[in-house]
Amino acid sequence: MNKIYTIADNIISSLGFTSNENFLALKAGKSGISKTSDPKLTQSPLQVSQVDSERLNSDFSRLEKPEDYTRLEKMMILSINDALSQTEIDPSKEDTLFVFSSVKGNIDLIEDENHPFDKDRIHLWAMSDSVCNFFKSKIKPIFISNACISGITAINTGAHLLKNQKYKNVIVCGGDVISEFTPSGFQSFKAVSENPCKPFDANRDGITLGEGVGTIILSTNKNLVKEDNPVIFRGGANTNDANHISGPSRTGDGLYYAIRNTLDEAGKSDTKIDYISGHGTATPYNDEMESKAIKWAELDHVPVNSLKSYWGHTLGAAGIIECVAGIHSIKENCLIKTLGYSEHGVSEAINIIKEYEETEVRNFLKTASGFGGSNAAAYFSELNAD
Amino acid sequence: MENVISKYCIVKPHEVIVDGKVDFSDSENPEYGAFMKAIYKHYEVKYPKYFKMDNLCKVAFLATEIVLQGNDQIKELDPGKVGVILQNSHSSIDTDSKYNDTIKDKANYFPSPAVFVYTLPNVMIGEICIRNKFQGENTCFIAKEFDAEFISDYVNGLLDSGKIDACVTGWADYIDGEYCAMLFLVEKSKENIKDNISFKPEFINQLIK
Repeated sequence: MNKIYTIADNIISSLGFTSNENFLALKAGKSGISKTSDPKLTQSPLQVSQVDSERLNSDFSRLEKPEDYTRLEKMMILSINDALSQTEIDPSKEDTLFVFSSVKGNIDLIEDENHPFDKDRIHLWAMSDSVCNFFKSKIKPIFISNACISGITAINTGAHLLKNQKYKNVIVCGGDVISEFTPSGFQSFKAVSENPCKPFDANRDGITLGEGVGTIILSTNKNLVKEDNPVIFRGGANTNDANHISGPSRTGDGLYYAIRNTLDEAGKSDTKIDYISGHGTATPYNDEMESKAIKWAELDHVPVNSLKSYWGHTLGAAGIIECVAGIHSIKENCLIKTLGYSEHGVSEAINIIKEYEETEVRNFLKTASGFGGSNAAAYFSELNAD
Repeated sequence: MENVISKYCIVKPHEVIVDGKVDFSDSENPEYGAFMKAIYKHYEVKYPKYFKMDNLCKVAFLATEIVLQGNDQIKELDPGKVGVILQNSHSSIDTDSKYNDTIKDKANYFPSPAVFVYTLPNVMIGEICIRNKFQGENTCFIAKEFDAEFISDYVNGLLDSGKIDACVTGWADYIDGEYCAMLFLVEKSKENIKDNISFKPEFINQLIK
């Protein structure tokens, strides 16, 4: 079977507008979360990770008129544009497919009755059409809205579609913006942390939300690969724990099945995994469930982190930007510490990364879980590893 | 081996069509809520959680109930090998608007977790999985219109790869009183069953015409 190469990527978040800017901040242990009392976003002080609007508009104005695109579309177009600049792919050609992930899309338009856009622009397909039109793509894009696992599902779907050889390249792009809609909902669940979130810590008390966009370009075209030992996608799976629409299973069964199915697809029969990029939302239930699934998969020795304390939970972007960070962990042979973690707070003795470390990283497993009982995993490795 | 449609169901205003025939209709109850209630009663669905669901979940859920009735072989399968792959156009926008109404007026601010949880389109898949204990592949795709070519490509790919053995798949959409669900139970073909329809776009598009 054809190999699926990761050939380019980008992250736009509170920590920067390129993968490198973001990864440098992660290595330095720098978080993009800060406190806001902006009445447009929240009725009470809120910890949040936001993209710099001034830079967004000034960078975007070099490409197109900022007023013709929504906030999320601008972020997606800039992200894809940066990733494409690293490759020779022509996105208008028929061998390249766009796969999008977003939980809420242009939800900020629902709160602004006087927005200047067409009334259909609130729909997810209208948003992806707008982005695809910018890149002159004539292929109908694929759009996934799978709650907090959306980004991983999009990567898995993109890879799945490359296997039947209809397309040579897939541009996977996912993201979400912060408006009042999402924070108020999570606050009503009493699921939002007062301080920047503390994944897997004994004193964790909920999530911190963030906004951002991530892009990964996958390709089966070996000629586009610039490195000797590129990172390839090995396998992925999405499962459901069939337990509750807004709470994870207590046993971790759904996430365990996602991990098992992913490693099966990857042909990985041993447990020699160098790194797990966890979901780690820092809610009491999620992190506990995750520790059980990791233990069940006999991966409790593997170094694991959550990056939610750097970017916040970026919903439709999360799976993608966390995979981009995983790819860069392989390329730079380093492990990022779980910011905010000091006292172990989950029942299984999983191996949470406490300090930044330079060590050989040849592969990683990414996991995610979300509302609707959804769980997902994806597995990547260097071409010369398994 | 081919993947075939074991049963399909279309729920649209006033009518439930099962395997190509009108199975239930109620022109006296044209309004969405009343028609869903009539379907719930007619098909003897007994599931109290149904009444908590939002409108999108209700129509997706009822169409699935009808598709699975008489197909007990699905219960014999490994729950991890039964997938639910749906597509829709308007995401959860109908409930999004209702939720937004609860935060619009700062003097009357009452965001509700019970409404907020339904502001995700894939929650309809979660409801179907919880009811039936399905734990396989599950994804909610969004497209302006039902894309039989993509859905059949994707679902056949999952079945052919062995990731799943059966799938509840199709379309479910709700916005502002307008609704439609077109759900298919797709399985790997068994030799002893005749007259099964292959899960291919040319056949799917004929069935939903």
